[in-house]
Amino acid sequence: MSENFKPVTLNFGPQHPAAHGVLRLLVQLEGEVVNKAEPHIGLLHRGTEKLIEQKTYTQAIPYFDRLDYVSPMCQEHAFALAVENLLNIEAPKRAQYIRVMFAEVTRILNHLLNIPAFAMDIGAATPMLWAFEEREKMLEFHEAVSGARFHAAYFRPGGVHQDLPENLLEKMKNYFSNFPKFIDTLEELLTENRIFKQRSVDIGILKKDDAIRLSCSGPVLRASGVAWDLRKSQPYDVYSDIDFDIPVGKTGDTYDRYLVRMEEMRESVKIILQCIDNIPQGPVMVENNKITPPKRSEMKNSMEAIIHHFKLFTEGYRVPEGITYKSVEAPKGEFGVVLVADGSSKPYRCKLRAPGFVHLQALHFLSKGHQLADLPSILGSLDIVFGEVDR
Amino acid sequence: MSPNILQKYSTGSFHFPIKAGIENILVNKDSILDVTQKIKEDEDLLYDQLIDITVTDNMLSKSSYAQERFTLIYSFLSLKFNKRLFIFANISEDNLNINSITQIFESADWFERECYDLFGINFINHPNLQRIMNDYTFQGHPLRKDFPLTGYEEVRYDENIKKVVYEPVTLKQEFRDFDNESPWEGMKETIKEELGK
Repeated sequence: MSENFKPVTLNFGPQHPAAHGVLRLLVQLEGEVVNKAEPHIGLLHRGTEKLIEQKTYTQAIPYFDRLDYVSPMCQEHAFALAVENLLNIEAPKRAQYIRVMFAEVTRILNHLLNIPAFAMDIGAATPMLWAFEEREKMLEFHEAVSGARFHAAYFRPGGVHQDLPENLLEKMKNYFSNFPKFIDTLEELLTENRIFKQRSVDIGILKKDDAIRLSCSGPVLRASGVAWDLRKSQPYDVYSDIDFDIPVGKTGDTYDRYLVRMEEMRESVKIILQCIDNIPQGPVMVENNKITPPKRSEMKNSMEAIIHHFKLFTEGYRVPEGITYKSVEAPKGEFGVVLVADGSSKPYRCKLRAPGFVHLQALHFLSKGHQLADLPSILGSLDIVFGEVDR
Repeated sequence: MSPNILQKYSTGSFHFPIKAGIENILVNKDSILDVTQKIKEDEDLLYDQLIDITVTDNMLSKSSYAQERFTLIYSFLSLKFNKRLFIFANISEDNLNINSITQIFESADWFERECYDLFGINFINHPNLQRIMNDYTFQGHPLRKDFPLTGYEEVRYDENIKKVVYEPVTLKQEFRDFDNESPWEGMKETIKEELGK
């Protein structure tokens, strides 16, 4: 290095294709080596928590789709569980199976966006096109149950909004039995790809202790060799009845994070197929009209049903006083909801614990000492979506 | 791992139903550093992960736990024992200072910045206590209960002067805030008056 060398500060983003949204990154460079990477977030801050305080519990659900907008149903799941916990109710078995099934569909959807986006960041364009075709097919299942491809508002406190349409289980079984073949072809493209490996192996290594210290969760934590998955360790809904494995990485580099996500998709397929085989008949919502709306058909000739409907969609249901924390294993990590209820029909405080927020905080630690070109690779492997980071 | 160990660090009980079976203690805000250090190192506790730091503004709360204006909620997870812990600390409006726990849990950095930004809690010895969610020049702390939902300022790009300008909020229609708590009891006062006659 020459003597009159000065570190350069580079402004990366907020509008940059590799920033995965609106990330502003102040990168201090010494030559091409990253000295310091300081994320500036909040460009997508919409005040979700404040808005939820002004809405009834039912009206709050759609906000959860808009947090991490590539895995909408998993977040509704956390909120539904939290409200159910405060109300002291439990969703019927059929609803629990549906929720688990669709949480896993959502997980595959999320990984099918993250993996090719990560691959594209480091030079591979084809996986993106392939994965999006499959994503579209899977979004049809979302649409079939909820009417919307993304903003589903399907998981409600007390169950799910509607029962599955006819033949959907058959279609899903057909599709997901063949899906592992697609994972194989995707893996053929990437896993042993020389360029892909050169750009990802031994980049952004996160050791076990560091991953725990930096509060990482989900695939990032597992890639560092910690066998921790909330679906196993603190099971919710019917995960405890389902047989699946937790893939764990060894070195904790970006390549391991990719591998863990790949394996997770295979496990998700296993879970979905088990759910399809074991799903019982029965109601999909708690049958208590003080909490869940009555059926349309009932409302045609029952005064009481109309009263319940009116009360639920004006006042909403009241939730008894209490504080709870419920978290789910969202595709990106631990997504949790701290819910404070004061006995009224609106949440008093609803804090959303987003995994991306914590992972982005670790970016500086991960990128220090790496080349600038490795930064997109690290960022891509952390699976950041700004909807949930900025809330 | 029994609650007794935790009670050693507690300074009182928290009179509010905590659901989901999460252990919890209320601590004096001056002892937050000691307590977090201990729960992290105590071999029977080993709360090694900080999950979240958040605040509730108790201004409008009618609950008995709301002794002070703000309550900080720290939540921890022990990967070894698979247990969660809430630590509550009350903070009064006159003295918004509390020690930062970044030296014990590194990941507290952004959580504390968020609490500062949205509630105005002042974390002492924090390495970089800046706004994180809101604009660099933002005034006020939006998640406080006395901050209006619509805020005070709005931002727009001015074509003439070719830059972003800040203006006081103007609402195109009146802000709608319905009290739906019990639509059929809205006549309560009227009925009372009628009865009083």
